[in-house]
Amino acid sequence: MSDLDRAIAQLRACRLIPEAQVRELCYKARELLIEEGNVVCVDAPVTICGDIHGQFHDLMELFRVGGDVPDTNYLFMGDFVDRGFYSLESFLLLLCLKVRYPDRITLIRGNHESRQITTVYGFYDECIRKYGSANVWRYCCEVFDYLALGALVLGASSELEPSGPMMDTTQSSMPIDDTELETEVLNSRGEVTMSTYRPRQRSSSRNISPPRDISAGPGQAPMRSGAAGTGASGDARGSLSNRTGAVLCVHGGLSPVIDTVDKIRLIDRKQEVPHEGAMCDLLWSDPDEIDGWGLSPRGAGFLFGGDIVKHFNYKNDLSLVARAHQLVMEGYKEMFDGGIVTVWSAPNYCYRCGNVAAILELGEDTSSGGTVTRSNGDYGRSNGLLGATAGVRSPGRRYRVFEAAAQDTRGMPAKKPVADYFL
Amino acid sequence: MSASHIPNLNTLRRGAGRGRFRTRGGAAAASGGSNASDAGPGSKDTVVQGTDQDASVSRLSAVNLGYLEDRYAQALASPGMETRRMPIINRGTYIRTTAIDHLVTDFLSSSTAPKQIISLGAGSDTRVFRLLSQTPRPTNLIYHELDFATNTASKIKLIRASPLLQRVLGSDVTISPTGDALHSPNYHLHPVDLRTLSQQQPPPPPPPQTTSTPTPTPTPGIDTTLPTLLISECCLIYLTPHEASAVVRYFSETLFPTSVPLGLIIYEPIRPDDAFGRTMVANLATRGIQLQTLQQYATLEAQRGRLRAHGFGDGQAAADVDFIWERWVAAREKDRVAAVEMLDEMEEWRLLARHYCVVWGWRDTLGLRVFDAWRAVEGQDV
Repeated sequence: MSDLDRAIAQLRACRLIPEAQVRELCYKARELLIEEGNVVCVDAPVTICGDIHGQFHDLMELFRVGGDVPDTNYLFMGDFVDRGFYSLESFLLLLCLKVRYPDRITLIRGNHESRQITTVYGFYDECIRKYGSANVWRYCCEVFDYLALGALVLGASSELEPSGPMMDTTQSSMPIDDTELETEVLNSRGEVTMSTYRPRQRSSSRNISPPRDISAGPGQAPMRSGAAGTGASGDARGSLSNRTGAVLCVHGGLSPVIDTVDKIRLIDRKQEVPHEGAMCDLLWSDPDEIDGWGLSPRGAGFLFGGDIVKHFNYKNDLSLVARAHQLVMEGYKEMFDGGIVTVWSAPNYCYRCGNVAAILELGEDTSSGGTVTRSNGDYGRSNGLLGATAGVRSPGRRYRVFEAAAQDTRGMPAKKPVADYFL
Repeated sequence: MSASHIPNLNTLRRGAGRGRFRTRGGAAAASGGSNASDAGPGSKDTVVQGTDQDASVSRLSAVNLGYLEDRYAQALASPGMETRRMPIINRGTYIRTTAIDHLVTDFLSSSTAPKQIISLGAGSDTRVFRLLSQTPRPTNLIYHELDFATNTASKIKLIRASPLLQRVLGSDVTISPTGDALHSPNYHLHPVDLRTLSQQQPPPPPPPQTTSTPTPTPTPGIDTTLPTLLISECCLIYLTPHEASAVVRYFSETLFPTSVPLGLIIYEPIRPDDAFGRTMVANLATRGIQLQTLQQYATLEAQRGRLRAHGFGDGQAAADVDFIWERWVAAREKDRVAAVEMLDEMEEWRLLARHYCVVWGWRDTLGLRVFDAWRAVEGQDV
């Protein structure tokens, strides 16, 4: 068993590794991360995760529900540290897994992966408390500076393979002829609690599939609309393509100074998260029910509306933006006709919020005989070819929803985290 | 380790409601309750008394970071308890304090006539010192604080150790031999278990000519003729619904004639029935803290009804802390507060802030208009 495997085993048991080993690990991780672009390309299948925030036992629950590394290909969208009581154990484990299985786990930067924020929100204090000095905090912050800013998931299938037993209470539109499974929600026992279908796009030229908004005929449950850019016109032109657009993953969201994925690639990212500008926005912004851009109540980044997302996705051949950053009580939340989704992976956030968590699985598109039909987010790639918003279908989305791990079961630390209230 | 080897911690759960984090319905409250009562009412009181320390630590954190100005926070915090709270807690402490200050100031500035404030379960609250050190010093204010003897005794100890606090009270200060009661012209500290108040008889009407000694009252110095403001800042909620009502009734019916203008401000948690509320109830139960009236007054509407039922018939209003932050705090002040610390967790802030409320109501049967300024304070409908 290598040192690294030993470290992984130790961290899985929620036991810290020696400072010298942390130093070495962070050095190796930096060497690895420096080779990654600002936007990492990841092939489906992949499981996309949101904020962890040092909730180590819930991270273990996530791996139990989503499968372990390296069996499952993971993409974590940042905010590994702060707030929870086990930021060190959580981040160091993820980092070990990254170094051990670089192609099976992708880590991108969240706004909490920053020197300034970690001194306010707990990670710094935790490092001092657990290692007696700021050294480990410093090593980790150096790694933060090298984390990628985003990821592009390629080759995701537009259709899910139905999974698991249906619960009696499953809300579902019945699968009918010529439909494909678009979304599925599973609980932590693997039972399907909701599924939605959409009309299949045939490669036949006799494409007369109805516009999406009237597809829910009598006796059918309404179907969830697809991503921006796959509206009625998409169906009309479905004969030309059934490829799934790329999925852009960032921690926060879009930026008014970033109109193409390529512009993200131009950022000099190896620095502390700035207070403003493109890099800050990608890590801080939030989607909101507004038109255009708005000021963020967080004091950093922006609010952006559905029109911004739709335009950005269209321009970049994207079918979906996946992001984290905002607590959502149900674990995930799709907005703007499915053009953007928030994935939140810290159940009962801060041991106080009572929310459930979710991870998002995107399947692999095997329909083209192993050749991945991919868009790569390059500007103008589809312009003039297909015109309009043709062909880019949103990926099939499987959400696995899970609750907080019990903290008082055998083998777990008995120490009960105390959440603050006003007394 | 493959996924199948990762133990499912949730299926390993044993027993019902034993300190679980996520629970459904009232199971956690019930189990927490039984735990706490197992330990006896005495220890439950100790836990409630301890909530004051928590509040004073939060106050000190908000003051040290610059959210609040309060020269007395340090002197009234137990030494060695200093700690930096999370930004959302600091912001909540800021709003709780400034919102009540706002209503208090409205009451005091309605006229120069003498007025009285009675703070229930005041603990280490600094408000009286802040009010009495204002310039010009409000000479017509009498301020009473009622709390467990343990809490009044430790407050008196801190006052004795602090020239800063003593200067505010002046030289005319009497401290009881037991060290748990304090009396001065403007400030009285009464060691009282609020639950005993309802057993009190109304003070006898002052007979014109009598030589008999007056019946001792648990709260000497309260002038039952003065327009009076009652404040319960996270206090009544720790009593049973019956006890909490009895305490309010003691003041609104027994002690004060109905002709005397009386106002009540309550600050406490609400909305126990959503996921956040259930978790709050469960988490506090594991610390032995029971929010006993929370179900009874679960909504703003129920809180307003509570004030109506207690005879605060001339006006009742309520707002949650999120609403108060959005609507009461001026834009520039919001900018100032937002700049004190970066508040990243907006969603968590809203969740937390929607689970605390300020409720205020008044009666003014003779139309003395001492609470008129409250009519202009924006309440929240839903």
